[in-house]
Amino acid sequence: VSSPSQWLRRNSERFLLEAAQADMARRYLGQMPEPPEGGIVPAFWRRIFVPVYRRIPWAIRRRLILAMPGSHRRPWRGLGTFGSVAPPSSEWTAPLQATEGRHEQGGS
Amino acid sequence: MARRIVVVGGGAAGIGAAGAAKAADPTASIQVFTEFEDVGYSPCGIPYVHGKEIPSFDSLLLQGKEYYAKAGFDIHYQTAVDKIDPGNKRIVLDDGEKVPYDRLVLATGFTYADPDVPGLELGSKGGLYFVKNIRRAMEWDKYLDTVKQAVVQEASPLGLEMTTALPHRGIETHLVDPHPWALAEVADPDIMQPVQDSWEEAGVKMHFNTKVEAYLGENGKVRAVKTSEGEIPAQLVVICTHKRPNAQLAQEAGIAIGSTGGIVVDERMATSTEGVWAAGDCVELPHGVSSVPIQGLSGSHAYAQGKVAGTNAAGGRRRYQPVFVPWGMVAGKWMIGGVSFGETLATALGIPFVVGVATGISRARYYPEMKQVRVKLLADPRTLRLIGAQMVGGEGIKERADFLGMAVRKGITLEDLATMENVYSPPIGALNEPIAIAAQNGLAELGRT
Repeated sequence: VSSPSQWLRRNSERFLLEAAQADMARRYLGQMPEPPEGGIVPAFWRRIFVPVYRRIPWAIRRRLILAMPGSHRRPWRGLGTFGSVAPPSSEWTAPLQATEGRHEQGGS
Repeated sequence: MARRIVVVGGGAAGIGAAGAAKAADPTASIQVFTEFEDVGYSPCGIPYVHGKEIPSFDSLLLQGKEYYAKAGFDIHYQTAVDKIDPGNKRIVLDDGEKVPYDRLVLATGFTYADPDVPGLELGSKGGLYFVKNIRRAMEWDKYLDTVKQAVVQEASPLGLEMTTALPHRGIETHLVDPHPWALAEVADPDIMQPVQDSWEEAGVKMHFNTKVEAYLGENGKVRAVKTSEGEIPAQLVVICTHKRPNAQLAQEAGIAIGSTGGIVVDERMATSTEGVWAAGDCVELPHGVSSVPIQGLSGSHAYAQGKVAGTNAAGGRRRYQPVFVPWGMVAGKWMIGGVSFGETLATALGIPFVVGVATGISRARYYPEMKQVRVKLLADPRTLRLIGAQMVGGEGIKERADFLGMAVRKGITLEDLATMENVYSPPIGALNEPIAIAAQNGLAELGRT
């Protein structure tokens, strides 16, 4: 039996990966993504969840992710101290987004 | 009275736990329960026996049953555990026998995600193969001699290994995967392209963006796989769906389960229930960069976690750590590997990153059997700390993945890597290390040369 957190993770992971794979396919393979399967529920995740998730600043997004129950909520030495993705505040999200844009233009 | 430690599961985590518990407390009574006929073998080696790279399944077994008996382990083979009862500190076997314990280690491993398509009832007798048990693999290996066409369902790590192995047996191999490229949940398309090219050379038929819709049978045997792109004739389907944590016993006993479906543990591999530890594919662990819990790691992770769980269950003090997941494997004619994130996963999660890419060489350019090595580094754009890497090449991928795994863990930056020293010796190393060139290119991308 899936808990609400398992249900949320399974679906968010699926549709965020699907969107990221479509981005990668366009960038590296020159392919348009396959037309996704229809339905109201997938449409919600694709048209509402994914765009909203992508607009939330990383610092807030990360706090939401880490609010989920799991092993990361129990004692682990050194966890959460990785500087690059454990920002002390959301102040640096704007410069980050600017840099992301530069990366995308570079086409890696 | 000797401490009674019960281990449920005889894979890498279970045997690691049993051995470490015995080492930490030689007076302890160690009982291991496994539903299978063997313990402590390498299931990861099964595709290589099928592919004839390894001549025999015997070499996959670490030790014989006598070894474990002599070492003082009381191993109960082919004995399924029906229930765990932490309140009364006992487990219940499927025949109803109750076995008491003082400390319990759960190493119950994984199950394959249910493909959830019609025809699954054909089962293993009908040609549907879930690679796991070495005894069944021995039987399947004989069956492979009769197979002309096979479908590998899903380009997971096991799917890649089987897609590489089956053509070695002269089997017409079809890879069917719902994603746009192979291993698309882990690896990036530019990393996988050479692999896919080499499969094509080997005659593999790839069907991406394609879903399996049914297994079609005749006289109890699979005859074809119905996909979203049409039917593929096959006498064998190797089902390589996701590995899910086998945490049902823990869940039924009220032990906390996380968002991955894995057992929640802390750095001592202790579960939410006192006196119960867990390790291996049945647990979830926090990722060192993102802190997000993940599951389904390698056998080396499972074994190391088992040692931590076993030591602590026996009264010792040992810690595990958040994981950065260096990985690597052979796929087609290539080696692929990486650490933490590739672009696909980082994009999905929404982690900011910059990329540095380079294609270098593994030996001096004039030395025989020199191979190309493509390295892609991902770094935090603010601090330039490495957060991930992906690679494809002819050799030296595993060593680079191990090194980069430690580099991510220790907070090494693109600037550090751009100026790293490297071994230069024509047979084993080129003048310029591809990792360093990739880092230099990443800095150039940012205008920081």
